[in-house]
Amino acid sequence: MSETVIRTENLVHVYPRGEVKALKGVNLEIKKDDVVSIIGQNGSGKTTLVRHFNGLLKPTSGKVYLFDEDTEGQSVAEMSRRCGYVFQNPNHQIFTTKVIEELEVGPRNFNFTAAEMKESIERVVELMDLKDILEQHPMTLDYTTKKIVTIASVLAFKPEVLILDEPTGGLDEVGRQMLTRIINMMHDEGHTVIMISHDMDYVAENSSRVIVMCQGEVLDDNVPEKIFLNSEVLEKAQVEPPQITQLDLFLSAGKNEETILSVEKFINKYNAKRGGNN
Amino acid sequence: MANPIIEVKNYSYKYDGSDVIVLKDLSFTINEGDFVGIVGCNKAGKSTLCKSLVGILPFVAGGSWSGEIIVDGKSLNETRGSGVTDVIGIVFQDAESQFTQQTVEDEIAFAMCNFGYSRELMIERVKFAAEACGLSSMYDRSPYHLSGGQQQRLAVASILALQPRVIILDESTSQLDPIGRDEVFRLVRELHRQGKTIIMVDHNIEMLAEYADKILVLHEGELVAYDESHKVFTNKELLNRHSVRVPQVTDAALGLKETYTGNSGTPITLKEAEEYFAGLKGRGDQHE
Repeated sequence: MSETVIRTENLVHVYPRGEVKALKGVNLEIKKDDVVSIIGQNGSGKTTLVRHFNGLLKPTSGKVYLFDEDTEGQSVAEMSRRCGYVFQNPNHQIFTTKVIEELEVGPRNFNFTAAEMKESIERVVELMDLKDILEQHPMTLDYTTKKIVTIASVLAFKPEVLILDEPTGGLDEVGRQMLTRIINMMHDEGHTVIMISHDMDYVAENSSRVIVMCQGEVLDDNVPEKIFLNSEVLEKAQVEPPQITQLDLFLSAGKNEETILSVEKFINKYNAKRGGNN
Repeated sequence: MANPIIEVKNYSYKYDGSDVIVLKDLSFTINEGDFVGIVGCNKAGKSTLCKSLVGILPFVAGGSWSGEIIVDGKSLNETRGSGVTDVIGIVFQDAESQFTQQTVEDEIAFAMCNFGYSRELMIERVKFAAEACGLSSMYDRSPYHLSGGQQQRLAVASILALQPRVIILDESTSQLDPIGRDEVFRLVRELHRQGKTIIMVDHNIEMLAEYADKILVLHEGELVAYDESHKVFTNKELLNRHSVRVPQVTDAALGLKETYTGNSGTPITLKEAEEYFAGLKGRGDQHE
């Protein structure tokens, strides 16, 4: 049984001057080997939820446990050291004048030794192919590259949990493939990945678990093969399955127990059917 | 007879202080009423092209170029880009960064103020643009307090008020949730139906396949394809070579080509795929 890294108990959040509960008593357990996607329309509470994991937000009531420790009283620094958070908009995260400095911020703040910092930065530079832009001003980079830099700057301090808020927004195909490599690497190294995403093609193919949120509550929490079958929940959360899933659902006319999430699986399924009956 | 609204002739462009030629000898024509999707990976030159079509590059922000771009019969080399906003309006990826005003109404009127429109005409145009973009009930709202989809619609409204014949959207949907994205695509489709020429840069291949008539593929500054959407999106080998996907349903149809022949041509949209794969519906024992 995989270790629990994050647990919430009746987590409620009301923003200052807010009248509605942005989170209405959320109970969740996130396991160490989860690659979990949180989906739902804007305003459903996705970002509010994950900002409790690194201390950017504090519960109005309820509890958040990080590695079995109650986070009440823990500082943002302590929590974000373990839960690295990549903002949706890279412009909200970048604040230095060189890419290399941006990468150094985390390790320096978290007291890496010079040798540790060097090793860690060399690793992300290699991993994310940044060596040619280290001296550039991050704000002069195109959007995709900025986004890659912000992910790299979080990976540089080696968090145990990586939280990605809308990681594929504005990324091209090459950027998406790089993101997938990073997610797989984190997973292989025994870390946890949590992403918030509207990109259902990406969620379907790259998550081991999907949490559907709507109006501050968890509507469903399951493997993606089951989530995308639940049309009632998807409709309520205003989420559309990937195109290939919609096609499979149309062809199988509701007789599926699990659905197809990728083109590759679609081809296997319909090829196998023909082969089996020929 | 097709009326060319934008003609690009052997156009190349390079930013100041850089040796990289970002656009390389591009030649193509966009006709009035076309809906052109522009695809390509990072550094393909998509945004540089959009800015060149409206003369921001090179005439405002600098850089060196060769060749010419002709908009509505006038060469930008001669006009230095002046007057192009009468023909083309452009919406950028991050709508919020282009807002300057405190209310939706003022934001829509802002460009017209700069062009010295009369008050009466401004009021009329604000009304027209707000209605077209579904913002009539939001005149007094702050642009910064709108949802992502509403912000993009406001950005479209503020250029629509100038009544351009061409609207360019440069990755306008990439930061939006599916509801916001659909709002923008629906608005753009409606404007296209009303006769506007649409040029849309987007990474969402499935949406472009559904909406655009033509697709232009850029790769490292070169034009590698410009044709009807069907022809481009079914050319998997070409697109993959330039790091662009084909729509999922197209990929599925091509992948099953050896064992399944559909009733119709290779699909690029879900609706087409439902027809194409109808022979596999409901059971697994279909034979050709």
